[in-house]
Order: sequence, then structure tokens, then C-alpha cells
Amino acid sequence: MNYGHPIEFGTFITPANDDPEAVVELAMLSEQLGYDIVTFQDHPYQSRYLDTWTLLAWVAGKTEHIRIAANVHSLPLRPPAVLARAATSLDLLSGGRLELGLGAGAFWPAIEAMGGRRLTPAESVDALDEAIDIVRGIWDTSEQRPMRFDGEYYTLEGAQPGPTPRHDIPIWIGAYKPRMLRLIGRKADGWLPSLPYMQAGDLQRGNRIIDEAAVEAGRDPREIRRLINITGRFDIENGGFLVGPPEQWVEELLPLVVEDGVGTFILMADNDATMTTFAREVAPVLREAAEAALPGAFSQRPLRRATVRAKRREGLNYDAIPESLLETVIEPGDTGFAGVRSTYMRGGSPGIVFMVSTTEQVIDALAFARQHPHLPLSIRSGGHGISGRSTNDGGIVINLSRMNAIEVLDVASRRVRIQAGARWMDVAATLAPYGWALSSGDYGGVGVGGLATAGGIGWLVRQHGLTIDHMRAVEMVLADGSVVRASETENADLFWAVRGAGANFGIVTSFEFEVDEVGDVGFGQLVFAADDVAGFLERWGAAVEAAPRDLTSFLIMGPPRRGQPMVAQALAVVDSGNPETIIDRLQPIADVAPMYDQRVMILPYSALMQNAAIDGEYHGRGEPAARSGLIEHITPEFATAAEMLIRSGIVYFFQIRSVGGAVADVAPDATAYASRSANFSVIAFGTSHKRLDPIWDTLAHHFDGLYLNFETDLRPERIEDAFPGSTLDRLRDLKRRYDPDNVFRDNFNITPLAPAAVLAGAASDPAGSSR
Amino acid sequence: MSDYGHDLIFGTFLTPNAKPAQHAVELAVASEQAGLDLVTFQDHPYQPAFHDTWTLLSYVASKTSQIRIAGNVLNLPLRQPAVLARSAASLDLLSGGRFEMGIGSGGFWDAIAGMGGRRLTPGQAVTALEEAITIMRQVWDTSERSGVRVEGKYYQVVGAKRGPAPAHAIEIWVGAYKPRMLALTGRLADGVLPSLPYLAGGPADMAEMNKHIDEAALAAGREPSAVRRMLNINGQFTSTGRSLLVGPPQQWTEELAVMTFEYGVSAFILAADDPFTIERFANEVVPATRELVAKERAAAGSRS
Repeated sequence: MNYGHPIEFGTFITPANDDPEAVVELAMLSEQLGYDIVTFQDHPYQSRYLDTWTLLAWVAGKTEHIRIAANVHSLPLRPPAVLARAATSLDLLSGGRLELGLGAGAFWPAIEAMGGRRLTPAESVDALDEAIDIVRGIWDTSEQRPMRFDGEYYTLEGAQPGPTPRHDIPIWIGAYKPRMLRLIGRKADGWLPSLPYMQAGDLQRGNRIIDEAAVEAGRDPREIRRLINITGRFDIENGGFLVGPPEQWVEELLPLVVEDGVGTFILMADNDATMTTFAREVAPVLREAAEAALPGAFSQRPLRRATVRAKRREGLNYDAIPESLLETVIEPGDTGFAGVRSTYMRGGSPGIVFMVSTTEQVIDALAFARQHPHLPLSIRSGGHGISGRSTNDGGIVINLSRMNAIEVLDVASRRVRIQAGARWMDVAATLAPYGWALSSGDYGGVGVGGLATAGGIGWLVRQHGLTIDHMRAVEMVLADGSVVRASETENADLFWAVRGAGANFGIVTSFEFEVDEVGDVGFGQLVFAADDVAGFLERWGAAVEAAPRDLTSFLIMGPPRRGQPMVAQALAVVDSGNPETIIDRLQPIADVAPMYDQRVMILPYSALMQNAAIDGEYHGRGEPAARSGLIEHITPEFATAAEMLIRSGIVYFFQIRSVGGAVADVAPDATAYASRSANFSVIAFGTSHKRLDPIWDTLAHHFDGLYLNFETDLRPERIEDAFPGSTLDRLRDLKRRYDPDNVFRDNFNITPLAPAAVLAGAASDPAGSSR
Repeated sequence: MSDYGHDLIFGTFLTPNAKPAQHAVELAVASEQAGLDLVTFQDHPYQPAFHDTWTLLSYVASKTSQIRIAGNVLNLPLRQPAVLARSAASLDLLSGGRFEMGIGSGGFWDAIAGMGGRRLTPGQAVTALEEAITIMRQVWDTSERSGVRVEGKYYQVVGAKRGPAPAHAIEIWVGAYKPRMLALTGRLADGVLPSLPYLAGGPADMAEMNKHIDEAALAAGREPSAVRRMLNINGQFTSTGRSLLVGPPQQWTEELAVMTFEYGVSAFILAADDPFTIERFANEVVPATRELVAKERAAAGSRS
């Protein structure tokens, strides 16, 4: 009987405290020799030993790849809830290398002498049963609800789960007797006995009990790894089981693999000679012999626990996940799911999340998605999208957050290559030492991919233009899986489309930008009394338009509050570190209305972008409702309409960003983003489209265009608002060429032009369309 | 004036955030590189956004080589005292004698019970802490051959083996504010470790606190100077002074020196979560404070 577990090897080092350095060195040697795991027994009552948990954490700090585990923890002296969270910490600190070995406890007089609770063996099994549930509960961050546990041996009044471990930590149990073995079958991920304590036939009997209990509990026996501690001596002569030369060891251990399904051998040894001989002369030979005896048995895919597989979604062929993605894919039942399911403003429940790190993986993930045309496909860079639905329900997410490299290609031309998964705060921080910056948006947690395929209205927009205006080339994966480079000279039409409608044409994996020289900037936060909302907006708009380009300003207003005056907050950035210039640019803004408060700072541009949490996890819920409009001037009519909108109370966040300036230097047909004559970008958030749309639509006639990234309305008219006639025609044409099957349909879907819809007198497309 | 003549130590009090996983570790390393004496973390095992403090302390110890490490303060209700004692000795041995035991009686009982801990009243918790300290000292004292024997109301540790001996005499610092805990500190501990933001009357509160500690120490046959007076501090570096520890480094220096002379504070542990503040504290406040205190002590001819 073999369970198909790829064979692994580990060490078991006595945690003696008379020479702590020696113990640590043996652990480090285990890593150097290529062992998969290093383990230590746990006897907290043993005064000649180091505390095992302390030692594990120390060893984690002194190693990089090897996994670590207790073999096995004494549960009676390690309360499970605290142990669980400690395990998560160690898993996070070690980069996902912690495995949890548990035992029900032994040496009860010693446990009691330490102040622990004495239990009978039968009771200790039940206590372990409860502890496993508690540990898994602390690790399960899928619901953000405190875990109550009313057990016979443990009572938790309500412990918050979290943080999320780095990987799915397996629980291995040290056991020999039937009750424990049945518990393993029901609930654990591995059986870890010591061979020296076993008689002939114990392994087979144990496996059988585990397998039967597993099947009875609805599990597959292959979910449970069979580990074993072994000990012996290398000698020239055969002196008995595991006493002899390496070849003899291989011969004696092979049946344990082939017949008893052992997947992990843990060598109990405290000297480097034995460890070295085993690593060099037994382990690789045993692996080969096992492969020869059972060809193909060890290349099966790892099997997730039944409870994890139970959370899989309909219609997804999980068995067809490409090889290249197996190690990093996240399913709904996996521990990492809570951290990737939702985005900044949206709750999500995708059926599968591919964490990609290479273009090859992107291609493989896309191929998988194409096998599921009926399911939603979301592409995620930073997950901050307001319009970008970089999550979904039951579908596929290709998550590029690990493709986040930022590379300077050429200092003289300020050419930088940035992968789509990078975040703008990291871009700003990386460019700062060069005296460079690339204006993006106002929030550092936004991902490069989503913003740079749509526009990019940032703090320096009037001086330096849109983010897309700095794009010089992209590498992208197209719907058919091909990888192309697009620039002004290669695939120029694609390059045109990417700058404004990129989400419809493929997955950009990296961008090349020509960035700007930017030193310190002035940042002003001005809070105004704005009861005359319309007058305020008009005057602010006029001041911004009249200002030199080195001023960019964003304005924010909220809904009226009962009994409170209307307040407007203007944020302004001056592309200059000179205090006089800054004051000169801010003064006209400050003059717009009486101020409650003002704050002016001079700081590096990169400091402006350090406004997001470093870890970038989002836990949004529901769906945002946001409407966008681009407008040339804040006219009195528009200002009046905007005041009505704001005073209605329907909009909880109203922002106007200045655009214009350098944005208008680019011709409207030079990029898919066409609204070059706009001077302002308006966005309004409401609690629902049902409430927001009727009132917003009354303002529609003021706008000429909208900014895709701030629009969540899915009605088809929005596409026409975003792209004027000839732009949209060209986009549809290119969509037919590059994505005829409409694979990329999630984000402001530009559907391929219907053959019947031929417009008379339309300009011919230089690339040669069918019209 | 109650300068106990202790040498000054300066440290950081870092939030043990679990994400990003290495952030707290990086700040600890930064504290060491800045030349500070001590790095500490609070201990709230029920807090899902934090690392487990014992795990973090051990890991940080493995990533540093000089700086002392301590909980600030460890949560006794959720940590088994005999196991904790042996863990402390182990960490002290592994780290070459850099571990100190900052410990508290626990305060958030709902959260503690939420994690399966035993609910105690504040009064009971003081007694429990006393028992735990006794257990720990017995575990560390291998000069006695007999086992640990503490038949307490809250902990019964009878017959547990002593050892290993730590690499150095681990100091026990207690988070204490009220008379019973202060008395316990005077009787049994090596330091008192309150946080300045929780002193309603500011540093001046330490005068009264010191009195309780001193009296209890003397009653137990100990010198008051056996108990270090420590303080967790919060502050902000600004160009113009506004209030206590909100001002330029020179102001901080003067204010800390006053705390040393008026209230005997000899350990200042700065709550900080960014490398710039840590560096500024270490470069611009610490040396100046040491100098100022040394000068004034020499002038005052105080016993050292």
C-alpha cells in the first residue's frame, strides 16, 4: 500500500541544553545536507532540554529553507489556542516552514509536577481531539468571527481567528494505540510514530486503522502522510535492522515505502557523521529505488484535506490546474484565501486564485481560464480597483501581485521597467533616490497594472500628464496565449489601445516608462467653509485652470451634516521645493473661500505615496457605486448642479481632480484615452446605483467623457461615454482582431464590432479593418 | 530627589504586528544597529493582528547579537509559569545572556477567557503573579538539589525539576501601577515597568509609586536600589516644544534627565514603529541624556 507521497527526509536532534550551540549547528547542518525538515522532541518537564518552542523559533532565524517541527509537542503543557497563534507567527516569520507535531502527552507525573493537568490516556485523546479543532479554528480566517469552544477539556469564550498562516500547516500526531489512530484518520494530516517503539506488524495495523477511520469520515487516506522516526548505526557489518552499511539501510527501508506507504523518514541522530552518511548515501538511493519499484506513484498531485476540497466551486476543473501553478494556487478552502478573495472595495468569493510570478504562469493561468469560458475571469494587480472587478464569485482570478519588480533600464533616458503587480508606493520609493517620480494617482496601495492601462490622474498630472503618457512599451499576454511587445514601433495599434483600454486586450505583465525628474514638492491641505457650494466650486475651478502647470489640486466634499456648515477640503501639490513658489501657487487656492485650517509641507514626492498599509491585503465587502465624468470647465451651471448633488445627501464622497495641463499636450487620437480637453475629473460615490444613478444622470449633459477607473455603472452607454465615436470604432475593430472570443470582458467590456453594424462614411482604419 | 544611582538603559517598545511578517523584526534589528540597549514587545496573545510575543522574542534574539530582549510585559494568565521559566532560561542560554523577564498579571480578562485562560480578579491576579515569580526563581536556581515546590492558590508546581540555569541572572520587571503590585515588586522583583501614558499625573506619579516599592523592599530586607525604576515613554520629535516629550531632542534630554533625578527612572523605553524615530532617539537623545545625567550626578556627588 502506498499513498503516493513524495519521499522526504528529516532529522531529530536532542534539544540538550548543555551545549545549545551544538544543537543549533546540527539543525543548520541538516539544512546544508538537504534534509527537508528538522525536528525536536518536546518535554517541557525535562530540565536538561531547551524549551522546544523557543528552540524552533531560534532555529527558524538561523535557517532559510528547511522546515521545522516539534516531534511532538506535549499538549498538556501547551494550551492549544496560544500554541495555534504561536504556530502562525512562526510560520509567518519563517516564510511558511512550520509544521505542527502534536502528542496527547506522556509522563503524567512529570506533567503534573510542572503544574499541568493530569488526564488518563483516554481523556488525553479526547483533549487532543478538541485541541485540533481549536488549532484549526484559530488558523481559519475565512470568517472574521470569534471562535467559541465549549469542550470538556477546553473552554474558549471567544477567540478571534488570525493572523492567516503563510501556508496550510499540517498537523501530525505521534500515536500508537487505536483511539489515537482513529483520531488521526478523522482529523489529522500525518501519523508520526517512532519505529523503535513498534513491533512487527504495527505499521500495517496502524495504517489500516487510520485508513478505515479516514474513509468513514469521508476522507481519502492519501490526505494523511505516514512519517516515521528511525534510528540506527552505520557500520561495515550487518548487525541487525538499520545497523550496517548504507545499502543495507536502503534495502531495509524500501519495504516501508512500498508496502507501508511511509512518505517521510526522520533520522534520530545527534552526530554529523550519521546525518551526513544518511543524507548522501541513503536518502537519494532510497528515493530512486522507490521510484523504480513504483513508477509514477510519487508524481501524483498532493491531495488537499476533504474539508478543504468541500469548499470547491461548481464548474471548475481543479484537477486540470497547470503544473506550473500547483504550488501557489489558492482554493476557497486554503488558509491563504481570506487574504486574496476580496479587494479594496469589493467582497469576493472566487473559485480559484492563481498567484503568478512569471509570464509563463500567466499564460498557463489564462489557458486554464479559457477552458472555463462560462466563468468570470478577473485580472488583479493591486486589488484597489473601484471599477476594476479584480475579484468575482465562483470564477477565476489571476493575481499578479507577486510580479512586482521595478528595474531601472537606463539612467540617462530615465527608462524604467515595472511589472504589473508593483504598487505605486513602492514605485515612488524606488525612484526617489534617483530624483525621479512617475505621477500615478493619490494612493500608494494602487497597483500599476490596473491604473496604467486606463489613465493615471495623479498629483503631478497638470505638469507631467497622465501615467499612460509616459508609457513607452509593454509586454503583454494576449487572449490566445501569445506574448507580444507593443510600442510605437511594434504592434503600434495594440499600444494605442493599451493606453486607455488595456484591460480589454490582454494581460500586461510589464510596462516600460520614461519617468520624470521630480525633487521635493509642496503639499497643501486646505479646509474651507463652503456653504456657497456652487460658488466655491466655480472659484476653485477657475483658480486651478488659471494656475501654472506646476500646481495640481484635488477637491473633496462630503454630504451635509445636520447643524454643521458645508466644508470642502482642497489638496494641492506644487511641483517645486521652493517655499516661495509653493506659497505663490497655493495662495490663489487659499483665497477661494474662508479657511478653517491649513497645513503646508515640503516633502519628497515619495512621501506623499506612503499612505497605504505596507502589507496590501484588502477585506472589502459588498460593491461600490461610483460615477465618473470628465468636464472642461467648472461652469456656473455645472457648479449649481454639483451643489444639488452634494446637498442631496446621496453622495457620501465627492471629488474633483484637476486634469488638463500637460494632459492636453497629447492628441485625442494618440491613445485610447481620448478626453484630452477635460480640465477636471469628477467622481461621486453613493451607497447604491439605484440611489445614485437617477440624480447623477441629470448631470450627464455637462460631461464629455468619463474616466474608466472611477466608474462602476455597467450599462452599455458608459462605454460610449468613455470613448468617443471614432475611438470606440477603432477599439472594437482591434478587439475583433486581438480578442475575438471576448476573453477579457470583465472591465468595461468593449464587445467586438458586430459584422452587420457597418457605418456609412466611417474613416478607414490604417491597419486594415473589414469596414 | 530619589536617584537610585542605576546606570541608564534605553530601549524600544515595538508593536508586534504580524503583517508584514518581518516588520517588527526589522525594527528590532534597527534598534540594535542604533546602539540601543533593549528591545521589547507587548504581549496580547488574544490579539489576532499581532505575532505571538514569545515566538517573536525568540526569533528576534536569533537575528540579533548584542541587544537585550524582553516582553513588555508578558501575559502571565496565558503562559504556564513553569514552562515559561524554562523557556526563559533556554532563550537566555541561546542568546548569550540577553533575556530579561518583563511580566504582568494580565488585564483584559474577557480576552483572556476568550482564549481559554482562567478568569481572575485583579486581586487574585496579583497573588497568582507572586506565585509565578516564586516558581520562576526556583526553576532558575540550580544551586538547590530539590525540586520546585510552590503549592499556591493558583499554581501548584510540586516536584518539577530545576534548571537549566540561565546564562545570567535574569531580571524580573513587573508592569505595576497600584499599591499591591508595587508592594509585590518591592518584595520580589528587579524592576518596575509602567507606561508613562497610563500615569494620570505624569512622571510625578512615580514619586508615590516609588514610596510603595521602597517600603515593601525595606520590609522584605531589600535595598530600594535593588529595584530599577523603568518607564515606557511616548513622544514626538517636533521643531518647537509643545509638551512633555513633544519637542526637539534637546528638550527630551532635559525632560528625561529630570525623571532620573526626581523619580529615579533609569530605563527609558520608547514606543516607536519607524526606523527614523528610533535612530533619532538613539543618536540625539540617548548620548545627550547619558552625558547630562553623568554630569549632574558628578556635581551632586550622588552615590553610584
